[in-house]
Amino acid sequence: MVPDRIEREIHINAPIEHVWELLTRAEHFAAWYASGGADIDLRPGGRMRMRWAEHGEFHAVVERAERPKLFAYRFARSPHEEPRPGNSTLAEFWLTSEGGGTRVRVVESGFAELDIEPDEQSAYAELEGRGWEEGLAALRERATGAIAG
Amino acid sequence: VTDAVLAAVSDPTRWRVLSLVAAAGEASATTLAARLPVSRPAVIKHLRVLDRAGLVTSRRAGREVRYAARPDRLAATARWMAAIASEWEERLAALKRLAEAQDGDEPPGEPITPNPRTLSHGRKPRGDGHARQNV
Repeated sequence: MVPDRIEREIHINAPIEHVWELLTRAEHFAAWYASGGADIDLRPGGRMRMRWAEHGEFHAVVERAERPKLFAYRFARSPHEEPRPGNSTLAEFWLTSEGGGTRVRVVESGFAELDIEPDEQSAYAELEGRGWEEGLAALRERATGAIAG
Repeated sequence: VTDAVLAAVSDPTRWRVLSLVAAAGEASATTLAARLPVSRPAVIKHLRVLDRAGLVTSRRAGREVRYAARPDRLAATARWMAAIASEWEERLAALKRLAEAQDGDEPPGEPITPNPRTLSHGRKPRGDGHARQNV
């Protein structure tokens, strides 16, 4: 079975409250993620905006904000669209204190519900002839979230 | 419409059907049903879903239909997800640099810019698809 999720995690040598601030405050969010700035209304149902000069503005809705342990939002994967079923995935950040530092696990899920873009056929055509085994192995690894670190 | 590739392989039985087809090179519903705990009609249903997702092709050989696996679409989806995973690793690394920077340290540098192809789902996957493992 192939879950449609991606999981990655990292250990940070900083207290959980500090990491929470960096994750959830718009002015810090811009420093590690949305280079063009962000707006975050940090409560369930609150709106988020993430901007990149190159790509435009992406819209999201906060689903969970449980300081300092869980921050989750659903974001549209195309610019200038409100997140809805079919165009969005869910990003979750799970924080745990660990030896004076913080472990951050990010989970992105919901890929199987995404609409298909009409131009994908060209992408698949471009990859014609790649090995079956490579495809299976890579998908299994990514989708089951082989966790690094 | 859903992401047909991921939807197609998210069912465990269908995943087994696909794996068996891939391993066999070519297989009919009858030979597949013999190796699975499901009926031949059920196997045919799974094959139809896989066919619609572009994961198998079929050809008629006498009285039976034979199915073969198509690697390209699954590989493309895998590479797309690998690219997204790789971007998360880069972002987490940027968050770590930011969190661990002390006052007076060098600024942690620019955040990474996502590739529009990973933002707009279903577009071409980028790069070689190999995520870094050193996070």
